[in-house]
Amino acid sequence: MTLLLGMGWGALGVLVIAVGAIFGVWWERKVSARIQMRLGPQQIGPAGSLQMIADVPKLLFREDIIPARADRTLFKLAPLIVFAPIAIAMVVIPFTSGWAPMDMSVGVLFFLAVPSIESIALLISAWASHNTLSTLGGLRGAAQLISYEVPRSLSVLPLVLLAGSLRPLDIAQRWEWWWFPLTLVAFVVFFIASLAEMNRGPFDMPEDESELVAGYFADYSGMRWAIFMMAEYGAMIVASLFAATTFLGGGWPLSGAAGTVLMVVKAVALVTVIMWVKWTLPRVRPDQLMSFCWKILTPLALIQLVVVGVVLIWL
Amino acid sequence: MTLEVIAFTLAGLLAAGGAVAVLFVREAMRLMIGLGSFLLGVAGLFLYFGLPFLATAQVFVYVGGVLVLMVFAVMVVHRQADDRPVMEVRHDVGAAAVALAVTVTIVACLRSVVGDALPTPGVYSGVLADELLGPKLLVFEMAGALLLTGLVAVLTIREGEDR
Repeated sequence: MTLLLGMGWGALGVLVIAVGAIFGVWWERKVSARIQMRLGPQQIGPAGSLQMIADVPKLLFREDIIPARADRTLFKLAPLIVFAPIAIAMVVIPFTSGWAPMDMSVGVLFFLAVPSIESIALLISAWASHNTLSTLGGLRGAAQLISYEVPRSLSVLPLVLLAGSLRPLDIAQRWEWWWFPLTLVAFVVFFIASLAEMNRGPFDMPEDESELVAGYFADYSGMRWAIFMMAEYGAMIVASLFAATTFLGGGWPLSGAAGTVLMVVKAVALVTVIMWVKWTLPRVRPDQLMSFCWKILTPLALIQLVVVGVVLIWL
Repeated sequence: MTLEVIAFTLAGLLAAGGAVAVLFVREAMRLMIGLGSFLLGVAGLFLYFGLPFLATAQVFVYVGGVLVLMVFAVMVVHRQADDRPVMEVRHDVGAAAVALAVTVTIVACLRSVVGDALPTPGVYSGVLADELLGPKLLVFEMAGALLLTGLVAVLTIREGEDR
């Protein structure tokens, strides 16, 4: 029964991410247009909101091209592996203060562990394309994912210390307003490390269009390309939901259904900030990226951990 | 056949299939996928036995860390125009003998050390934390220091060779 329930939630997670990606693309177009003083989509539906109804069939019916030199089996497999971990990670997020699709005693660790499988998919797609630009993009992406996993994991630990549990539901239930100022540095570290983990600007070097065309998925087209994009938007949604429920107190100060709505609003606000950052800041260089991770973010996360550890003694 | 049995069978097949692939597939990237399948299968078996902490740690450390580094190493292999790099093993019998000896040693050690004292599934992560940070704290820290020493030694040896 548990297995069936898990599969059901998995399917729902995929649906949420797919629908979220469709709205995310429209929202990003509007946000980027606003930043660049343009209008963005506006012709189809109110404020161009139905533009994606035209875009999705376009992607579905576009020719599916597989390069002659590509490893066909791995080329087809990679988009599936890149998408699955994002959908799976979503199941441990508490959508209200007392309920998560899957209540797991080590949910926080699960949330951090499962998306790391994505880096393998990224490398497989780069390898399967058999193309120099893709290979470079894949290598960049994997190095970035491995490095930023460290500050990202460390940044969640203060919350685990405060809640005394690795269960996301416990963190959501025990959250108090003063946790936010206390773990503000950890929240910023988590946010920046998540940007790098999802390959979003200014850390989008793996798909750097001015140097690598589209990096590890440069040879993909049609629906396979769309799956990569869905995975990117899925990662944004899942990381924002997790940050909203743990660092920002979920539905606080409301509760019940209104709390869930407020939690989603907080997540949408975070997604908007992610887009804002991408369309405002210039892309960093690979050496700057690594230096920032190891010399700034990781020490900051460690200092935050020590501060919370010291504060805990006085509580 | 219950769903639990189906889940167990799937995890077992994933692990066994991955292990067979590691043994018999020679193409580097497919071999890595086989290894990934094996590691995920083992994580599934841990979950089946009610050990979610071990299952998650297995995915975090081995799939998300060690395997990614191995795939990364394969990626930087020089490829000719249309070839797919293959693994060439020159010491099949010797490698099998070492693997068997290590397995026998581990099983023998675990049988004598752990015996019937395996913690109850379900409260495993708590018991594990109490053990590691309680009476076995010194051993735990020493194991960490030993690993760190090993890493520093490897770096030093490599630097010497480079010179």
